[in-house]
Amino acid sequence: MPDVTEEHPNLESVSLDAPQFEVAAKNVKRTEYVTFGAFILGFIGFAAFGAAYTQNAPTYMLGLTIGLGLFFFGFGLVSWGKYLMPQGPFSEPRPLMETTEQERELLKADFTSRGKVAIKRRSFLVKAMAAAGGVFGIVAAFPLIRSLGPLPKNSLMTTKWRKGSYLTTIYGDKVRPSDLEVGGIVTVFPEDDLGSAISQTILLRVKESGPIVTMPGRENWAPDGFVAYSKVCTHAGCPVGLYEHLEQLLVCPCHQSMFNVKDGAMPVFGPAPRPLPQLPIYIDSDGYFRARAGYDEPIGPGFWTRGGTA
Amino acid sequence: MIDAIYNWIDNRLALSKSGRHLLNKIFPDHWSFMIGEIALYSFIVLLISGVFLTLYFVPSEAMTIYHGAYKPLDGMRVSQAYASTINISFGVRGGLFMRQLHHWAANIFVGSIVVHMLRVFFTGAFRRPREANWMIGATLLILAIFNGFLGYSIPDDLVSGTGIRIAFSILESIPFVGTNLAFFLFGGNYPGTDIIPRFFILHVLILPLVILGLLAAHLGMLVKHKHTQFKGRGARNDNVVGSPLWPNYAAKAGGFFFLTTGVTAILAALVQINPIWQYGPYVPYKVSYAVQPDWYMGWLDGALRVMPSWEIHLPGHMIPNVFFPGILLPGVTFTLIYLWPFIESKFITHDYAEHHLLDKPRDNPMRTAIGAAVFAFYFVLFGASSTDVLANYLQVSLNVVLWAFRIACIVVPIVVFPVAYKICLELQHLPEAGKRKRHMIIVRDEEGAYHSVDSEEYPGYVTPELAPVQIEEVDLSPEISALNATATPKDTGVYKIPRD
Amino acid sequence: MIEAIKKRIKIHFKAIVKYNKVAGLLVFALAPVLLTQFLVALPAVASVGSHLSRHESQRQSNMSQATAAAAAGAKTPQLQEGRTLFDENCSSCHGVDAAGSKLAPGLHGLGAGVVNLWVSSGWMPLANPGAEPARKPALFDLQQTNAISDYVASLSRGGIPILYPNLKGASVTEGFSIFALNCAPCHTITGAGDALSNGLYAPPLHGLTSTQVAEAVRSGPNNMPVFSTGVISKSQLKDLVAYVTKYIEHPDNPGGVGLGGVGPVAEGFIGLFVGVGLCLLVAFWIGDRTEKEEDKGHKKSETGVQHA
Repeated sequence: MPDVTEEHPNLESVSLDAPQFEVAAKNVKRTEYVTFGAFILGFIGFAAFGAAYTQNAPTYMLGLTIGLGLFFFGFGLVSWGKYLMPQGPFSEPRPLMETTEQERELLKADFTSRGKVAIKRRSFLVKAMAAAGGVFGIVAAFPLIRSLGPLPKNSLMTTKWRKGSYLTTIYGDKVRPSDLEVGGIVTVFPEDDLGSAISQTILLRVKESGPIVTMPGRENWAPDGFVAYSKVCTHAGCPVGLYEHLEQLLVCPCHQSMFNVKDGAMPVFGPAPRPLPQLPIYIDSDGYFRARAGYDEPIGPGFWTRGGTA
Repeated sequence: MIDAIYNWIDNRLALSKSGRHLLNKIFPDHWSFMIGEIALYSFIVLLISGVFLTLYFVPSEAMTIYHGAYKPLDGMRVSQAYASTINISFGVRGGLFMRQLHHWAANIFVGSIVVHMLRVFFTGAFRRPREANWMIGATLLILAIFNGFLGYSIPDDLVSGTGIRIAFSILESIPFVGTNLAFFLFGGNYPGTDIIPRFFILHVLILPLVILGLLAAHLGMLVKHKHTQFKGRGARNDNVVGSPLWPNYAAKAGGFFFLTTGVTAILAALVQINPIWQYGPYVPYKVSYAVQPDWYMGWLDGALRVMPSWEIHLPGHMIPNVFFPGILLPGVTFTLIYLWPFIESKFITHDYAEHHLLDKPRDNPMRTAIGAAVFAFYFVLFGASSTDVLANYLQVSLNVVLWAFRIACIVVPIVVFPVAYKICLELQHLPEAGKRKRHMIIVRDEEGAYHSVDSEEYPGYVTPELAPVQIEEVDLSPEISALNATATPKDTGVYKIPRD
Repeated sequence: MIEAIKKRIKIHFKAIVKYNKVAGLLVFALAPVLLTQFLVALPAVASVGSHLSRHESQRQSNMSQATAAAAAGAKTPQLQEGRTLFDENCSSCHGVDAAGSKLAPGLHGLGAGVVNLWVSSGWMPLANPGAEPARKPALFDLQQTNAISDYVASLSRGGIPILYPNLKGASVTEGFSIFALNCAPCHTITGAGDALSNGLYAPPLHGLTSTQVAEAVRSGPNNMPVFSTGVISKSQLKDLVAYVTKYIEHPDNPGGVGLGGVGPVAEGFIGLFVGVGLCLLVAFWIGDRTEKEEDKGHKKSETGVQHA
């Protein structure tokens, strides 16, 4: 193979005995052995992975074999690159990004001089094109966005609870006072909306008997020591399933808002800004719990059109 | 044979003309320049393991009865998304390993992006001409966080389902358009039946494509600008000092890929992540305590927790509580991140010049102190996302822990700022800071006097850096064309050193 | 040979899985937390130790008294023993005949099950009057606990008996579902327990007997809600107890270390500090340039080709 430099004297020859071209390893032989060993270990790891896979080995065997294989393989490669190659440093020039006024002018001139011919006395074309393109841009968004879902309309304002709804467990059983002891909690739904994320409500037995007046104006909302609140947190919508019956607190498991059960579920701690809506309930002549009416405010977290009342 | 194939391709794409240039590309040597590579490599792991998982995952909320290896779920009515994820974990050979690899790689992916970003920030690598690349990087962080959240959500388990419920609440809290946005994304009121398939298509197709495109732009700009470097022997604003792509960095970076993947795989082998069979399927009226998002959403969850119970009531309208920590905070955060290069040059440094040499963090105390204080703020929020778990482990009242975090997220940044500023100033006057010191040896001479002398240098430590050797572009074309076609240049071209 | 090795590995890994709760806690809590834990625990451990030894001697004297009383001719030795134990250990707060006092409520109407739960879980007797009930090693053995429970139950009517759920034919699937609805909001879905309001805690559900689980569900100790048959039926209770004692107690962790069942918090710590941390260590190694040496500086490179 002919040497380029011998035959072409105008090409500067390259000296490779500069210290920058030496390898970085202190002890070249030892490094070569270590690198070799790493590749062998990588080989063993990969092979072991193959074996482990065919044996349907548990996850940790699969992971350890291929993980260690990859690790040693990578170790070998890096060790080769780091210790057994020219140590440098080398440098190359870096053109600055700055452009000159002249360069910019030239491009600008090209752009405008050709552009001028194109749009000369044709501004009406430009306008028409912009109008058509603009309409396209707007209508293209219609199917992309509007088809995705219905408009909210009134759906965030109401639940399926209405006058006379039975308080029903997820198993479909209508709840009676005898189902709960003091300190008891059960998740209930209207009988036609079992398992609903929106209508979910908790029924608590706070005391043995007697009505609970959680707020003025709610005198007959909570009969016989029972009270019902929406289970959807007014903060971020998590189910408020955590009931501390001695403290009479409801706690939201997500962000630890705490609501005072006896005080109309007023928030006493944490980020929740509003009390849990209370469901007015009564016990009908057959001894079942029923809703006196639906919730008198939208349940759950706030939204722009919810209205300004606290 | 290989030569012939190469020649055939080369004659059609002219690879040789630019190829040599590429081989010579210099990359500066510094450990902190390799953090971004961790992100790149974990992204590759994510793509590969993700493709595997896609083959078995069923993105549907249609109900099915699970029958399989995990007894407590046997016979339970669950969504197909959940059932298929359980099946990947218990029924597909190597499936659980792949799931865990994917999830750990995601954690490492976002983590290394954050560390990479901190490195870029504190060394001033975002300055002109790299402002645009900084913004692309910030976008990549947002997308990575989003895509992580989507991937965490689609198995439809109890813990992640609660996260989706919170996401709906945050979306609907946006003034004017919030409820519409939420209804469009979820295909109706919560919970609907569309969200898992939609999250899935975003997670596996749309966001990865955008990430790939931006990644290409990110790296393309890196090639165009060439990598920044620290001041050092021979390093100037108009050159790059380091090791060439071929062969040094090919070996090092290639090896680093396998090392990163190896670390992730070993984690996936030994540490269980997201055991959704223990969590059960998502049911809207069920909930578990100690529900947390993955760590990169933690600062948002923490912000939701420490936010006081305020909201704004207007006539007929309201701005809900979650809007402030859930929308406003990340909005402001990322706006500031995007604008930082301009804020800094306009108000702090008044420096609009092109910079390819990096600052040490101490060189610009104001930037470092602001960065440290802001980072401390988000770190406190991150910690606040585990108030309940901390209260449980430390056996401290939950209320006390939350108040501690509320106070800390104000106090800690205020303390960190002057401390960081002062440390920078002190370090500026300690040129030896960070370098290994020699021992002081006390010797006694014949006359009995004591002297102190420095110890020998540690081998390899204080060795002065060699002067860089410049690699020049050598135009070999006349020589090569004159050569016999079979002749190949030897020991030339790649490294060319001018003779002094 | 290979079978033997396989078996060994299996046994070994079982041990890993068994102890992974401990490992998870260790890794998660990290050094400062561990230190705090250690400092807090030190006096507590010491006091428990002394407490235990004190009670050990007390117990022996109790037993000798009990036998003495029985020998004195009580009608039912079981009730007599319970009475003696109660008078020795409980009556100072709960009053003679469990009628209650200023220090503690009366125990009438609770039934044997409640007493059994509180005594067998170590909640009672308290470390000192006025202390919060905390899980600690039970002071009495099974027979003594039952004796006390029966004695207290004999003083009044009502309450729940000591429950021995028969887990035959119980459905863990149904139990899992009930657990997620009724228990997970406080105890977490993995039963790891968590902090409630104002320094209260939902305890971890590990190391419980099926009797204790059933009694806790029915009686609602402390702030725990009461789940009567109207909410969790008898057969559902069986399912629930089966799930708790089988799968909460021995979680299925095929993926490796379970991290104590605390979920993404612990996972995040591992991902950041171990995952990213290890990758950064690797980057330190790859990126550093300190290996260059003078000692081989004078040695000619073996690979370099010299040109004239």
